[in-house]
Amino acid sequence: MDILDYLKEERNKDWRKNLRSQIKTKDRTKTKKVKMPEENPDIRNTNNIEVNSGLTKEQALLEASRCIDCANPTCITGCPVGINIPKFIKNIESGDFLAAAATLKETNSLPAVCGRVCPQEIQCEEQCFYTTKLKLPPVAIGYLERFAADFEQNSGEISVPQVAEKNNIKIAVIGGGPAGLATATDLIKFGYDVTVFEALHEIGGVLKYGIPEFRLPNTIVDVEINNLKQMGVKFITNFIVGKTASFDDLRKEGFKAFFVASGAGLPNFMNIPGENFINIFSSNEYLTRVNLMNAANDNFDTPVFSGENVAIIGGGNTAMDSVRMAKRLGAKRAMIVYRRSREEMPARVEEVKHAIEEGIEFLNLHNPIEYFADEKRRVKSMKLQKMELGEPDDSGRRRPVPIEGAIEEIDVDTVVVAVGVSPNPLIPRSLSDLEVSKWGTIIVNDDMQSSIEDIFAGGDIVRGGATVILAMGDGRKAAIGINKYIKQKIKK
Amino acid sequence: MNIIMDFKSIDDILDFAIKNEQQAADFYNKLSGDSSVKEMKNTFAEYAKEEEGHKARLIKIKDTGEYNVKEEEVLDLKIGDYLVSAKTSEQMTYQEALILAMKREKAAYKLYMRLSEIAPNNNLKNIFKNLAIEEAKHKLKFEIEYDDIIYHEN
Ligand SMILES: Cc1cc2nc3c(=O)[nH]c(=O)nc-3n(C[C@H](O)[C@H](O)[C@H](O)COP(=O)(O)OP(=O)(O)OC[C@H]3O[C@@H](n4cnc5c(N)ncnc54)[C@H](O)[C@@H]3O)c2cc1C
Repeated sequence: MDILDYLKEERNKDWRKNLRSQIKTKDRTKTKKVKMPEENPDIRNTNNIEVNSGLTKEQALLEASRCIDCANPTCITGCPVGINIPKFIKNIESGDFLAAAATLKETNSLPAVCGRVCPQEIQCEEQCFYTTKLKLPPVAIGYLERFAADFEQNSGEISVPQVAEKNNIKIAVIGGGPAGLATATDLIKFGYDVTVFEALHEIGGVLKYGIPEFRLPNTIVDVEINNLKQMGVKFITNFIVGKTASFDDLRKEGFKAFFVASGAGLPNFMNIPGENFINIFSSNEYLTRVNLMNAANDNFDTPVFSGENVAIIGGGNTAMDSVRMAKRLGAKRAMIVYRRSREEMPARVEEVKHAIEEGIEFLNLHNPIEYFADEKRRVKSMKLQKMELGEPDDSGRRRPVPIEGAIEEIDVDTVVVAVGVSPNPLIPRSLSDLEVSKWGTIIVNDDMQSSIEDIFAGGDIVRGGATVILAMGDGRKAAIGINKYIKQKIKK
Repeated sequence: MNIIMDFKSIDDILDFAIKNEQQAADFYNKLSGDSSVKEMKNTFAEYAKEEEGHKARLIKIKDTGEYNVKEEEVLDLKIGDYLVSAKTSEQMTYQEALILAMKREKAAYKLYMRLSEIAPNNNLKNIFKNLAIEEAKHKLKFEIEYDDIIYHEN
């Protein structure tokens, strides 16, 4: 069935009609947008407890009633995996929270994750009728997604999606981040024998080693992974494809197709003088030490230098996570140093708001140009060039330009560089026939198939650093592509 | 910069600039040849072509004495100015190649500005200023790529 027909049919069901008739649209739009309950900023910036504590039932019911169940639900067009948003929200309004979770899982295998980390303000919520037409705050789609997913996780009645009969065709997924997990979910549903190979000792990719506990608790990710295990997906950790075994080794073991979802785990450095002094980290290293290696725990001996004056370079989610972590590790000054102004920051709006509340300093329109060290080569200060924004160029982007002579020096004892990431080079380097871009991303066609026919790819290894939901969208597309490829092969 | 002072004629200056453009083209051709990545190969081959275009223009000016010049301003993001220079190698990443290219274009810009200062007549001054602008545009193109990709979150 055509997707629009499907949406219409669902919307015309009696229970939806009944709900719509119960409250007048005018009254729905009078209700104020819900506020997410949050931990106290002065306390939470000293611990790792999740900052957002989640909506209460009453809050969720009221917020769900704001959604007017539009005939033309534009919100869905803002969702990269096409969640049936009005349906799950109306499930909530009707009090059937488990049905809401099931609706989410029709197209999204990680709703508890996405409800927490998706940049909703530039996706579904930006396309909400409230935003576009009423110029009012949108329905809190993200908060509601999280509410339904958490309700299911806590209910003990987690639904395991139906799986087709096993076809015994082996598929390898390389990388256990959101792209890999999304493909694995769909392929196992189609009946394939799916194995996920993961280089690290934990499954989850950035969800585990990058995004900190105070934003996305690991237990939440684990529930979703367990769900996949129950569906029959096999996970092999500490296994680096391209090193522990080659693609040919795996082909010999009977794998008929591969999905490369190895992410963009290679940090970019700026290449300015002094950048290799001691206590200048990449954000990947900094966050991994804390998140996966217990560096913040006194009972472990993983070192991480928790300095007093910590500067984080960058304005994305990675920078916000690093700077808020630095504060939690005891920094007196935890600073963001960013070349542009606040409006241009690529981080989620909520992360910036939380960072401000937690006492993070923002040095916007500042750019580091050199680091200085003490006699032991430990960084002690940095030179900053003040910037201004130039006129918009052809791409419409205002580029930061240095203000002649406006230079200052500030003391720092730890620096975390979070300016961007590049694709992991190991796999592209291990396959000479694999076509890659000049930046090292794998080039794929519309089915997410690479220049080598049995190798598909998606997520950050194809996009460079992007988002969880885009990685998952790729994963879903690749599952369809792989299924098509295998069917054609069998026919031959 | 002493060589510059030794020019005896306009042709001398033009010959010097022509040689310089050829060296730039050689530089990009080498980057293109060394790279095992098709897209990198193509990108650098394109840059080499542009430098060869400059060379052809200079040769034409030398042969015919004709030229036309337009005045424009090019933004200088100064990204390349702060970076530590990279070394050429066969396994060079695109980031390293960009750093080299930005530095090279900046040097070429400065050279043409200098040539324009010492050029014996206004016409020639303008030609060199114009070439300097071309090099500044190249640098800006590289800087924008660096800005968009390497400094994606900065
Ligand atoms: C600190 C941080 C915060 C972020 N915050 C957000 C956010 O709030 N919202 C959002 O939408 N996005 C966020 N992102 C971006 C998002 O996390 C990524 O876009 C997303 O995780 C990409 O998914 P992926 O599956 O492609 O790769 P990844 O999540 O990177 O997973 C790749 C996995 O592959 C494994 N791997 C690599 N090479 C091999 C190999 N050769 N063999 C076996 N395994 C291998 C890696 O160990 C890793 O586990 C953030 C990123 C970071 C770093």
